[in-house]
Amino acid sequence: MKLLPIKTKPARDMLAISPATNLALNILMLICVALTLAPFYVIVIASVTSEASLIQNGYRLWPEEFSLSAYTYLFTEGSIILIAYKNTIISTLAGTVLTLVLVMLYAYPLSRNNFRFSTFFTFFAFFTMLFGGGLVSYYMVMRQILHIQNTMWALFLPSSFSAFWVFVLRTYIKTNVPEELIEAARIDGASEWRTLFQIVIPLSVPGLATVALFSAIGIWNNFFNVLLLVDKVELYNLQYTIYSTLNNIRFLLQNADKMQGLVNLSELPTQTFRMAMAVVTIGPIVLAYPFFQRYFIRGLTIGAIKG
Amino acid sequence: MSDIAVGTSKPVSKPKPRWTTDVIYCNLSYLMMVLPGATWLIFFAYLPMPGIIMAFKDYRLQKPPEDYWIQNRFIYSLIESPWVGWDNFQYLILPTNLNNTILFVRNTVFYNLMFMVVGLVFSIALAVIIYELTNRFLAKLYHSIFFLPFFISWVVVAYVVYALANQTGIINTILSSWSMEPIEIYKEKTYWPYIFLFANLWKYTGNGSILYLAIITGIDRQLYEAAAIDGANKWQQFWNITFPQLIPTIVLLQILAVGRIFASDFDLFYALPAGSVMLRDVSTTIDVYVFNMLRSTVPLGYPAAVSLVQSVIGFVLILVTNYVVRKTRPDLALF
Repeated sequence: MKLLPIKTKPARDMLAISPATNLALNILMLICVALTLAPFYVIVIASVTSEASLIQNGYRLWPEEFSLSAYTYLFTEGSIILIAYKNTIISTLAGTVLTLVLVMLYAYPLSRNNFRFSTFFTFFAFFTMLFGGGLVSYYMVMRQILHIQNTMWALFLPSSFSAFWVFVLRTYIKTNVPEELIEAARIDGASEWRTLFQIVIPLSVPGLATVALFSAIGIWNNFFNVLLLVDKVELYNLQYTIYSTLNNIRFLLQNADKMQGLVNLSELPTQTFRMAMAVVTIGPIVLAYPFFQRYFIRGLTIGAIKG
Repeated sequence: MSDIAVGTSKPVSKPKPRWTTDVIYCNLSYLMMVLPGATWLIFFAYLPMPGIIMAFKDYRLQKPPEDYWIQNRFIYSLIESPWVGWDNFQYLILPTNLNNTILFVRNTVFYNLMFMVVGLVFSIALAVIIYELTNRFLAKLYHSIFFLPFFISWVVVAYVVYALANQTGIINTILSSWSMEPIEIYKEKTYWPYIFLFANLWKYTGNGSILYLAIITGIDRQLYEAAAIDGANKWQQFWNITFPQLIPTIVLLQILAVGRIFASDFDLFYALPAGSVMLRDVSTTIDVYVFNMLRSTVPLGYPAAVSLVQSVIGFVLILVTNYVVRKTRPDLALF
């Protein structure tokens, strides 16, 4: 018989909470976790319920009858969702790349002490965080001067730069890229551009990843600019597509009595179909979440270093 | 999250080098780098700014005559529309509109204050609990789950509200199985402040606690040990050690929040009620009001006036709060 090593119980940390408190807090946290995940559960369950049972029994915590027909319908005939998916993916990719380029190029000079106009450009960006022209003139400028309404640009260009991310990245460069390294590169004769691409960018990857992540999520979830600037169905992104569907249906159902004969309710997208739309809208985010969440935490704390 | 350093770096004590060829070349490179971002700022942030004068004009979009120096409808109309002084602002306080204006301003401020106070308490409580849990793996897992909602758009949340609370939604199914009256959430105003509060907590608490958790983790454990030896319980330790360390961050985040007190999360208030007219009184904040006016047939001067008041108050508030903080705790000031 092999002797098991004797486990000596380590002296309990004097600061640790008592096992009873720990249990109570764990239970509390589990309840909170359940509340946090409940919304996801609700729409996923509704989307895999068969339409007939949803109409007959209403929404349930557990489906009476499973069915995946909403999803098969979504990806075969549901062309609006496929178009919306395509628009969302294109705009997210283009917008993220653009954000990275714009923010990095703006942040690096601001992090350098030998940039003579640093004060001016810092203020130039910072002022936009304090004051804006307001929605009405923004709307008019977008539509009457820049003419980006009803183009793919409207889905990402207005949200592809932000003074806030410039300052976060500037702080990141200042604290993580050693000044000596940049000086050494200069003494070796590297141009500013070469220093940026060969030294600063490789060392700023975690900061850039955070900016990319937030930018991508922001554009994926972009609703307001589409509401404001896009009137064509073929340019709707996912968020706006599912918003307009929900809105139309809620309106029609609530006023169904007044519109007898005007609309055929059975022709509306089915309830399960709509819930499946919501699920595929958040699907990629939820699936990618375990991989990007560490960048997310870092992103929220890198800006906290005052430099 | 917003604890960013914006102030420019202090001028170095040594005199600046003269404009030698190297310095000029180097600065030219920097200017080229800044150019794309600066262009974006000009088009998307600065170009709309002169438009604030619409608030003082009887603005009508017109086609410029052939010989006008600039052939752009917006700019032409902006310059040539007649000045009306404060008329657009007076429209908002006409007896017929005054109640609405007050209501929408009150909604905005009330929701913001509610989110600020409740969000602060919940975020700090969550950070402390996560820190105290003995099992680190579970603590991390919980925390990861709590900030997942941050990435979910309000439009999807609107679907959740619908699935939970429409006529055949889960809540009504449960209520009817207990033979209780069903609730009609899209017709009944009283539920909505709670829905907004709960949705807001759901989305932002995990995210709000991250910064506090980072600070608590950084506090020297010896402080707590000394306090524990002196007989301080957890509650006393929190108020005397943890809380004072959190104050700088709390102050900074609240300054930013106060600066935004007249702004609101448009998507939240616009998407969740799914366009139900009966909820207008509880779901219309200033931003939604401006948007609705923009989409209606009222002259554009009115929403522009509301927008201007909102921008100016936000601007003044952030300057004032920052000034107060700089006078009392200069280390915490934003700029």
